[in-house]
Parts: sequence; structure tokens; C-alpha cells
Amino acid sequence: MAIDCSTLSSVTLCPTFWAGLGAGLSVLLSAIGAGLGIGISGPAIAGAGVERPEVMLKTFIATILAEALAIYGLVVGLLSVFAITPTLTIEKGVRIFAAGLTMGAAALGSGFGIGAAGSAMASATAEKPEIFSRAVISLILAEALAIYALVTGLLLLFTG
Amino acid sequence: MPSDTISHLVRDNYLIARLRGKRSHLLGRQQLVALSESKSQTEIIGLLAEGSYGPELSKLGSESSTIETERAVRLGYAESVMSLIRASAGDTHEFLMQYRRRSDAYAIAGLVVFKAQGKTWEEYLATRQPLALMNEQELHRLYSNDDLSTIAREAGDRHLVERLKGFAMTDIEGEKASLLRDVINGWGEERFYKYINEKLSGPDRENCLPIAGSAIDIANLTIIVRSKIIGASGIKDHLIPSHWKLNQRAIDQLLAATDVTQALDVAASHEYYSRILSGARQKYEESKSLSFIEVALRRYQLDLSRRVFLGFPYSVGIVLAFLILKENEARNVAAVLAGVAAGLPADELRPLLALQE
Repeated sequence: MAIDCSTLSSVTLCPTFWAGLGAGLSVLLSAIGAGLGIGISGPAIAGAGVERPEVMLKTFIATILAEALAIYGLVVGLLSVFAITPTLTIEKGVRIFAAGLTMGAAALGSGFGIGAAGSAMASATAEKPEIFSRAVISLILAEALAIYALVTGLLLLFTG
Repeated sequence: MPSDTISHLVRDNYLIARLRGKRSHLLGRQQLVALSESKSQTEIIGLLAEGSYGPELSKLGSESSTIETERAVRLGYAESVMSLIRASAGDTHEFLMQYRRRSDAYAIAGLVVFKAQGKTWEEYLATRQPLALMNEQELHRLYSNDDLSTIAREAGDRHLVERLKGFAMTDIEGEKASLLRDVINGWGEERFYKYINEKLSGPDRENCLPIAGSAIDIANLTIIVRSKIIGASGIKDHLIPSHWKLNQRAIDQLLAATDVTQALDVAASHEYYSRILSGARQKYEESKSLSFIEVALRRYQLDLSRRVFLGFPYSVGIVLAFLILKENEARNVAAVLAGVAAGLPADELRPLLALQE
């Protein structure tokens, strides 16, 4: 049964409000996380590139992984928006909100992790290029945090 | 995470990545040993042509003197530091400027010693510290002054004036000139130590303090031992009042020593500095020079710098550690150039170099 939000005594009872907030948080927090990741690791990659141009291309993986966070957030955000229908229940609305918050908050933390680890990886690779393959592991682990949230978010959107 | 660390992480990671890249290009032990085995300056210049000293060395003519070649090496080092200063911001920029201020002390010490030896302004100019904040005009004005106290007041501060009491421009030669140079250089090292001790905190202070602290302690040790060589009295007034590990008790023991060898024995048994000064007496008796103390300090600082590079990555300690490595490289290259020019065999030249183990 469709709920008319304009007749409700409180906006917190409106499923569209929760679903919209979830979609927005997913995109917003993921974008901030990606920005942190790129903003922190980018200068280090540039610095490494100044002294060792040959390592610059492979150290770019940090910015690519950070950018992927924004894509995960966008995916959850768009799917959330598509799930907003006139028949949306309050339970489904809160599930969409939870999915968006999970994705956004995880991407924020993951972005900081990728930034810090990516920056150290670029520095270390500038000094010893042969350790790149080992230094990149911490980056992948930081990225994995956001993937866990993506999976959880998708399950929240498509189950129940 | 403390605010200093966040600011280094967000603001200085470009600089830190560059430093790590630059570190990988520094001359290694084997390369320096190979340089020391060169037959001529031209051969050394050829071997260094591709590195950071290349641009300055390439400007030299085929008949360049050792002084000109050493100056080119110093200019190459100064350009490396200046490029870091240009790339830095905020507290790290301030730190680098404080590091650069140390060179002012070296410039004043060189100026006073050259002046006392009756050398011309042009001769001094050819050897002056390119990193010093004081410009050529200021130095020229100081060089035209004959009074040591006035030079100390204009170029330094009241602490320097106090520490130079008892020295006169007309009475500076041989070991006394070296003592005067040690006192002025020690004053410069103390300013840097105080900045680190009072203005820095957390990992920044923790990483930098041993490097700056050992410099002032060894400066005090050198002043005391040199004063024993020349039999100078009232040496307490010339000492650096700040201490790191060489505390007042240890200084009193050094001052109480009756001669150089006893003072060196006291230094070699110090609980902290025994690791770098073991066998000091023997080394002095073999060389009749205190240059081994400077080399020992540089080796110790190299070791500290290497440890800083292996430690926590976001601290200004990384910047200082790189500067120590770079300065040491420049000094080693200058020593090789001077040694080869003087016809010193490689096995006599090598102990004068501070090489990493």
C-alpha cells in the first residue's frame, strides 16, 4: 500500500525520506573517501615520479583503487534511487538507508586507509622499486573493506 | 593520530616520497671507495658527471683548482637542499630554514679563520658556504671588520659574543684557529638543537633529537680535547651550555683530565659515546689529529639516519635524516677530491671518509 508522506505526523515515518537519505549518504561519503584516498596518495605518487619516473605508472594503482570507492558508492546510490517506488514500505526504506550508510561510511574509512597506505607505498617504491608487489598488499586490504560494505549493501537492497 | 602526523601525511607526503627517491640515488659505499681509488680529479669528475653534482662539475674548466672543484660539490649539495626548501611548506619549511641557519655558523667560522690568517676576501669567497642565509654583501661587510667581538655581535647573538671572549683576531693560528672554528660551529649546532628540543614534539622530536644532540655533545668534547692540545685555560666559557647525553658530570670529568690522551680515555669510557669513541686514544696517537672524532660523529649520525628511514614514515625526521646523508655524501666527495689532488693513497684516504657499514 502506498504511503503518502505529506499526511504523516513526522518525516521519520516516511520511507522515501530514509531511502533518499541512504542513497545520498552512499554517494556523498564514498566521494569524500575517494577524495581523501586520491588527495593523500596523489602528491606522494607525484613526488615518487619526480625522482623515479619509471615507478609512477604502477604506483597510480592507489588513485585507481581510491576512485573505485566512488564507483561503489554510486552503484549503491543509484540502485537505492531505482528502488524508491510509490509502494515503498517503511521497512524497505530503512533497509535502503542502512545500505547507503554502510557503503558510505566504509568507503570513507577505506579511502583514508588507501590514502595513507598508498602514500607510503609510493614513497617506498621510489626508494626501492623491487618492493612494490609487497607494498601494494596493504592497499588491496584497505580496498577490501569497501568491498565488504558493497556486498552487505547489495544484500540489504535485494533481500528481505 | 596526533596533528603533527596528520599534517605530515597530508602536506609533506610529496616531499617525503621525493626524499626517498633521492636517497636511492645517493652514492653508495662501493661507489665512494671506487672514487677514492681514482688517479685524478678529472677521473672523479667524469664518474660524478651523471649524478646530482654533474651540473655544477660540468661548469668547471680543465685547469680547475681543488678549491673550485670542492666548491662545485658544495654548490651541488646546496642546490639539492634548496630544491627541498622550495618544495616544502608550513612547519617543514621552517625546519629546513632552521637547518639552513646552521650554515651561517660555518660561514662565520670560515670568515673569521680566513680573516685571521690574512687571506683576501676573494680567497674566502671561493670557499664560503653556499647554503648560508647571510648574503655576499653581509659577509663582505663582516670581512671588512677587524674586531672579532663586533663580528660575533653583528653576525650572531650575545651567546656567541660571550663564547668568543678570550679570542683575539691577532692570535688565531693552528689549533687555536680550529678551536675557534669548533666554538662557532658549536654555537650554530646548539641553535638547531634548541629549536628541535623546544619547538618540536612527538615523532618529530624523537627522531631529530639524537642527531642534533650528538652533534652538540661531540662539539663540546672536541672543544675540551682541543683546548687540552693547546693548553688553553678558561675553556668552560667557550663550551655549549646545552647537553644531550654528555652531561655536566661527564664534562667535569673531561675538564679535569690532565692531558689529551686522558681526556680521550674518559670520552671512550662514557656510557653512551663509548660505542663511537672506542680506541680514541690510539687513533689520536696515530694521526695526531682530532679529525677522527668528526668522522666518528658522522658515522654515528649516518646510522641514526638509516634507522629513521626504517621507522615511522610521517615525521620531519625523514627530512633531517636525508639531509644528514646528503651532507655526508658531499663531505665524502669533497674529501676524496682533496685527497686525490694531494696524492693521498686510497688506503690513507678511506679512514677520512664516513661510510655506512
